[in-house]
Amino acid sequence: MHSGYWLIASIGLPLIAAAVLLFVPDERHDIVRWLSAGVGAALFAISVFVFFAYELDRGGGFQFFIRWDWLQNTAFLRAHGISLAFGVDGIAAPMVLLTGIVCFGGALISWKIEHHNKDFFILFWVLVAGVYGTFESLDLFFFFFFYEVAVLPMYLLIAVWGSSSTFPTFTRTKEYSAMKLTIMLVSASILIFLGIFAVFQKAGAGTFDLQTLYAVQFDENFQKAVFPLFVIGCGVLAGLWPFHTWSPDGHVSAPTAVSMLHAGVLMKLGAFGIIRLGIQLLPAGATFWMPGLMVLATVNVVYGAFAATAQRDFKYMIGYSSVSHMGLVLMGLATMNTIGIDGAVLQMFSHGVMTATFFAMVGSVYDQAHTRDMTLFGGLVQKMPFFVFFFGIAGLASLGLPGLSGFVAEFNVFVGTFQTYPWAAALGIFAAAITAVYILRMMSMALFGPFNERWASLKEMTYLERGTASLLLGFILFMGLWPAPFVDRISETVRLLPGVS
Amino acid sequence: MTDAWVLPALPVAGFIVLLLFSTWLPRKGDWIAIALMAASFALVFPIARDVALSIGNGNFQGVERSREWLNIPGYIEIRMGTFVDQITLVMLFCVTLIALIVMIYSTGYMRGDKRYGWFYAIVSLFVASMLSLVLADNLLLLYFSWELVGLCSMLLIGYYYDKQTAAEASKKAFITTRVGDVGLLIGIIILFTQTHTFNIQDILRMAEAGEISRQWLTASAVLILAGACGKSAQFPLHVWLPDAMEGPTPVSALIHAATMVVAGVYLVARLLPLFEVVRGMPELITALGLTTTTIAVFCGLAQRDIKRVVAYSTLNSLGLMFVALGSGAVGAAMLYLLTHAFFKALLFLGCGSVIHATEEQEVDKLGGLWGKLPITAPMFVVGALAMAGLVPFSGYWAKDEILVGLYNGNLNSIALIVTMISLPITAIYMARLVMLTFFGTVKDAHVHGHAHESEPAMSWPLLLLGALAVVSGFVVFEGVGKALGFHSGFLGFIFNAAEGPETFSVNWGLAVGSVALVVTGLGLGTWMWWGDAEPSKRAAAFSPLLYRLFYNRFYIDEVYQFAIDKIVLATGRVVAVFDRAVVNDSGVNGAGETASFLGWLGKYQQTGKIPNYALAIVIGIVVIFAVAFGYRT
Repeated sequence: MHSGYWLIASIGLPLIAAAVLLFVPDERHDIVRWLSAGVGAALFAISVFVFFAYELDRGGGFQFFIRWDWLQNTAFLRAHGISLAFGVDGIAAPMVLLTGIVCFGGALISWKIEHHNKDFFILFWVLVAGVYGTFESLDLFFFFFFYEVAVLPMYLLIAVWGSSSTFPTFTRTKEYSAMKLTIMLVSASILIFLGIFAVFQKAGAGTFDLQTLYAVQFDENFQKAVFPLFVIGCGVLAGLWPFHTWSPDGHVSAPTAVSMLHAGVLMKLGAFGIIRLGIQLLPAGATFWMPGLMVLATVNVVYGAFAATAQRDFKYMIGYSSVSHMGLVLMGLATMNTIGIDGAVLQMFSHGVMTATFFAMVGSVYDQAHTRDMTLFGGLVQKMPFFVFFFGIAGLASLGLPGLSGFVAEFNVFVGTFQTYPWAAALGIFAAAITAVYILRMMSMALFGPFNERWASLKEMTYLERGTASLLLGFILFMGLWPAPFVDRISETVRLLPGVS
Repeated sequence: MTDAWVLPALPVAGFIVLLLFSTWLPRKGDWIAIALMAASFALVFPIARDVALSIGNGNFQGVERSREWLNIPGYIEIRMGTFVDQITLVMLFCVTLIALIVMIYSTGYMRGDKRYGWFYAIVSLFVASMLSLVLADNLLLLYFSWELVGLCSMLLIGYYYDKQTAAEASKKAFITTRVGDVGLLIGIIILFTQTHTFNIQDILRMAEAGEISRQWLTASAVLILAGACGKSAQFPLHVWLPDAMEGPTPVSALIHAATMVVAGVYLVARLLPLFEVVRGMPELITALGLTTTTIAVFCGLAQRDIKRVVAYSTLNSLGLMFVALGSGAVGAAMLYLLTHAFFKALLFLGCGSVIHATEEQEVDKLGGLWGKLPITAPMFVVGALAMAGLVPFSGYWAKDEILVGLYNGNLNSIALIVTMISLPITAIYMARLVMLTFFGTVKDAHVHGHAHESEPAMSWPLLLLGALAVVSGFVVFEGVGKALGFHSGFLGFIFNAAEGPETFSVNWGLAVGSVALVVTGLGLGTWMWWGDAEPSKRAAAFSPLLYRLFYNRFYIDEVYQFAIDKIVLATGRVVAVFDRAVVNDSGVNGAGETASFLGWLGKYQQTGKIPNYALAIVIGIVVIFAVAFGYRT
């Protein structure tokens, strides 16, 4: 069998699932759940397979390549004008694995959704198909298409299944968050869209095929002019400061599984786009603009960490910590050296798994307590030791404890950054200490200390939640203790990136 | 020696088994942890034999063994492995022996605790991390283990997590050491970018050969020292250690006295060739050590919690070890480390026994326990005398070597004088602790009434440690070293490579002087707290200001608390408000509102009146024509 069918399956399966769900009767919640769990498991299996079957001794290029031509040799298009071309390289492989893990986990965590769960899962699977499609597309047209498919269902998922929250000084309605998220991301897409057409036009090859376009040498001024379109356009989705505010508010309003996907994979699409569109298409532009990105990334890292120390809501804290950690991804990309970009991709994976764990945990306590204000809790460990165990490990991964995934990723980022911008690396490591402050502050406030009797009725996580958390935790440990399978794949490809030293 | 990795692997196995299955195991599986620990301890002896034989063969530089961990060909190659030399051997012996003793002691102390299995699991993990820390042949593995011991320490300080103070103390310990670790990590990365290796021996070679640029070497040395200060509780990062006493007492003995807190000392000793290349570094190390010692002896005088007094005595000792390292006396520092492990563990386990017997740890409520605790009391006194440094207890020999090192070293003689001044004060507060706890009048009849000697699982470890606290100092003698199978005494065994092996000799002036100071201090302390401790109350009343200063630890904690509350958290609040008000509500919402305002303006062109539209059409046509003709001509 052609190996590319695995990629077709990873995109087609969720779409088929969404289509099949349309015909399931509304009241048969059980069918929806089992079907979704099955699809999640299948996608997880496919993703694991794709990751491990990516062959290391073939030089880090695209594998599982498959192309179905759609439009060619008509109008302004020439050979392979627009085609469904899919393939993964060493950077996409871990992202595919990440998507498999997070969507499987998200499908399991959403087991308890009662409100229109059929519609929820239809949107959920469309979103997942979009994510896979973006990571795997080797055609600019379909890259953009899937990118939008991944973003738009978010609006309904948050606006319908989300929750509004009232804080002492302000209120965040789910409609506001959903609207802001969509408008900001779509506005950013316009920049990407412009960039794509500029590149298409300038190349004059009559094709959107990325591999063809990668071979084109664009002139330097053109690259310098277009690169910001890609980096800001994709950067918004990656939480680039100051275009990050959709993210914490989006988390606060989103249902658990959507938060998991949002922080776990969606933000990675942005960083991935910077590599795929920015660095790979326009290396000279990247070299020119990266110092600027480094400044913004450093602001991201430090600003996010400080903002997180002031939060009382679990989700806001994690949201700002995501801003800070995605800053490390951008920092790694901005180094333009092998170790730094390796670190960035590792951090994309690590942050995805870790944050998904965080949100799964917060969801399990929010569903019972209906509040996420950490100052109201206390000594949760006495009621929910498993919850605290998983939450604690995710927290420790977040603050970069060796042996967990965060350290491996951050360490590579810091080494890479240190070689190019020592001041940024020093600030980044300093922010890691601030991370320790807010994580431990949250732990001593909510998880340990005297038990608050108000929560006497809280129950331990369900077995399903424990299973989900164990799955995520397994990968946190896997990458932390034995990063070689990841690093081998990533570095094979990163060293092929143009302009990378 | 090449298979030293087995040592940490055994307790790791214990950790995994206990973590997963302790609920279903008989006795919660403590016997598994202890058996594996005993095996690990037993395996130190073959290593010791190998080291002894290798030294006999001449120029022994340590044995290294590693395997590839991460390899990006042409960019980075990281190997993980073990490195065994004399310093490692001392650490291995200390760690495994104390851990074994503490685990046995805990079967009594922790009995009936609801998280008994968890306790043994974490202690096993701690020992494994500590062993891998001292065995690491590269800085990456060292940092890895360094953070893990910090994690275990945090978990064990917060063991009684339903107490708010314990939760706070564990947070404080982790964050304070983390501040130092930021430095350590940056320092390691600097060394890596300069040398392209994490291997400690390679880095040391390059540093000595001057292959690392001077500025980067200085920067990395200072930053790594910051890490060592955090872990070994040196000024200004010492504040977490006294609070760490919230953990169970056996943990205090193992982690916060004998092993983890000396990791910083170990690190500096290990990297001393690098530190000595940097100008001003030895002086800095000594200065930090002296400051820590000075703060500790005065605070020790005024504390009321029995464990806190011992905690300050630990700070005192750690300061002395740093002083020794600063003067280049590695042998003295390691000897002090070895003996300190025994007598300080003894003191802590003694405290544990007192607390277990009386359920009270305020010295103001103890008293007159000498007869009630026939094993604990004398053993505690032995520990206190060793700590004070009375001849011939083990502390004396180690401390004396430090004085000799200071005397012979090329540091300013102020260091020697300050160290000498600290000796009688140490003796005074150790005497005070003994007097208040075991002698003096009974202050709380109820506490005194139900006090009883602990069970054998707890008293035998005390006796063993007591014996070691007496004799372990004798390893300094040539004859004792030879009798143990080594080619010389301790100082010929561990020495500063730049100065070469030494033989033990007595500097009579220093010896007599220091013993005189110690005896004076002990006498003074005994007199002041004799009976109702009248003289001490008069002393406290004489200068209440000074007393409060000592009791409140020079208000350093308050300063830090202020810094965290008013600087870090305040910055966080400012950033959060800025993010909401400026970035989001003004920037993002502002853009949205501007768009909707423009739409609101624009809607007024939809008037619904035909003449308006007609007018607009006419204007439009005129403009188009005007532009078209203008363009043509």
